[in-house]
Amino acid sequence: MVGLSVGEKHFIQGGIAQDLRTDGRKRLTYRPISVETGVIPQANGSARIRMGTTDVIASVKAELGKPDLFQPDKGRVIINVDCSPTAAPVFEGRGGEELSTELSVALQRCLLGSKSGTGAGIDRSSLLVVEGKLCWDLYIDGLVVSSDGNLLDALGAAIKAALSNTGIPKVNVATAASADEQPEVDISDEEFLQFDTSGIPVIVTLTKVGRHYIVDATSEEESQMSSAVSVSVNRNGHICGLTKRGGAGLDPSVILDMISVSKHVSEQLMNKLDSEISAAEADEAE
Amino acid sequence: MRELRDLQLPLNQTQKIRLRRALLQLQELACKMNSSASVTVADTIPVNHEDGVLKGHGTSELDGEVVATLCGIVERVNKLVYVRALRARYKPEVGDIIVGRVTEVAPKRWRLEINFSQDAVLMLSSMNLPDGIQRRRTAVDELNMRSIFEESDVICAEVRGFQHEGSLHLQARSQKYGKLERGQLLTVPPYLVKRRKQHFHHLERIAVDLILGCNGFIWVGEHVEARDNMVEDQETKPEQLNSKLNRISMSLEEQERICTPLETRQSICRIVNAVRVLSSLGFSLNVEVIMETVELSVSLNLDIHEMLGAEFCVQTAEREVERRSSLSKKKG
Repeated sequence: MVGLSVGEKHFIQGGIAQDLRTDGRKRLTYRPISVETGVIPQANGSARIRMGTTDVIASVKAELGKPDLFQPDKGRVIINVDCSPTAAPVFEGRGGEELSTELSVALQRCLLGSKSGTGAGIDRSSLLVVEGKLCWDLYIDGLVVSSDGNLLDALGAAIKAALSNTGIPKVNVATAASADEQPEVDISDEEFLQFDTSGIPVIVTLTKVGRHYIVDATSEEESQMSSAVSVSVNRNGHICGLTKRGGAGLDPSVILDMISVSKHVSEQLMNKLDSEISAAEADEAE
Repeated sequence: MRELRDLQLPLNQTQKIRLRRALLQLQELACKMNSSASVTVADTIPVNHEDGVLKGHGTSELDGEVVATLCGIVERVNKLVYVRALRARYKPEVGDIIVGRVTEVAPKRWRLEINFSQDAVLMLSSMNLPDGIQRRRTAVDELNMRSIFEESDVICAEVRGFQHEGSLHLQARSQKYGKLERGQLLTVPPYLVKRRKQHFHHLERIAVDLILGCNGFIWVGEHVEARDNMVEDQETKPEQLNSKLNRISMSLEEQERICTPLETRQSICRIVNAVRVLSSLGFSLNVEVIMETVELSVSLNLDIHEMLGAEFCVQTAEREVERRSSLSKKKG
């Protein structure tokens, strides 16, 4: 990203302080979001989200596998993000790796909860086929095509859209399988089960610039930030995950304030996303 | 014709239909107005072979025929035939007013990025010194270059010419050139800014400066009076130095107070969004079109950020159709 002169930096900070950002948005307004589903036909589910110039694609692939020894009644979800070198010159070669791991970890924390599976936004027990023997492994891959700030929110929204587009093939288990053998399965090519996405949270990132917070920062505004807090909130208004980035320290009262602001913003974002996703699915069906 | 998908806007069905109709009408109007010879790659250029024609840029000889290698318009100058591309990279000409960003402070010069294939050079001798005196640049001046322009500063300058080794030189000797602060820089494709008599626009009613750089960099900012350094008193100088030092140590509240007033900021944001909409639609940029777009948005009572939405985009296209058809009716 090109540097900004001192005058431009003051202009951006002054705008945020006066609640009028460089593109005319208020502090808590998102850029126009456009959703396309089914962009990758070979995957079980996929979606592409555009927030202004930020462009991300998420795809979901389901494969049969063996469940974890310590959690025999749950399936597995593996989230991985890749920053494409086309997104920014700094991502060339191995430059994007640090950001990719940071985004993958943040997404896992926000959507999958802890290692033991408690507090997860995605319900992993619905991925079970045969307890202890067979389960679905969901590989969720995110690709950043164009980076203009607010990647975490866009990836969270793309994963939500991709999961609502996901169809898991119906599995018929051959009966009378003994305890030691692997059961025989018949994976249907015709029938698909829709993944239940009502519990999936949305991620809202609040970027603190000066004394104010903004939502959906562009990369220029992100260069001025002191710290950023990303909160994932589900439909019931419960917090599923929390991540803080940035070197500056925050007073605890500020964090609590940011959490309540993000809860308020997440309602509108959730409704907007749901309507856009259903519109996109309707378009795809045509 | 612009692909609707390039716009990256969520358009619903009626909006898509309206936009397509508007773009088709614009194309028809354009075809009526100029029927110049446009060619695509591998088209033969009609040439009188007895004349001994010179093959210029964008042409090539194939089986005795002159064939175009670019998509563009055929231009003929005496015996020279060449193809001018419509959407080419910025091509500087002497006297162009450009806006650039400093990338490097080098011995006796600054290097600026101007959306060209190489960085342009602004020599220290082509720049007025802060005290306004015309004198030879000394070593002390060279050491204090950063007090004039630093890295990442946005500067407005004029193209002075090309050097024999091919590098581009700029000059910023007049008072209207120099560092640009308190505003925003936008990038648009350079072919949208046509060369005109005036590129500096001082919009008096809203106290905003609009500079349309020929290289595609557009500056929209608060109006700054062009100070004449020669007339300045010696007494006011220490005050200026003090105010600069104070700014660095000022608290946030004080900075907010000297900030751009809200009304000016709203006008700046409206102009910036108007430029964004026009450039995404591919319309040429000049002051009249930009101000008409701003007035259209005000008359429709749109919020500033809604100007980047799908509905306003379609309405801008329709408005442009009306404007061009009324212009062509006046002419013909």
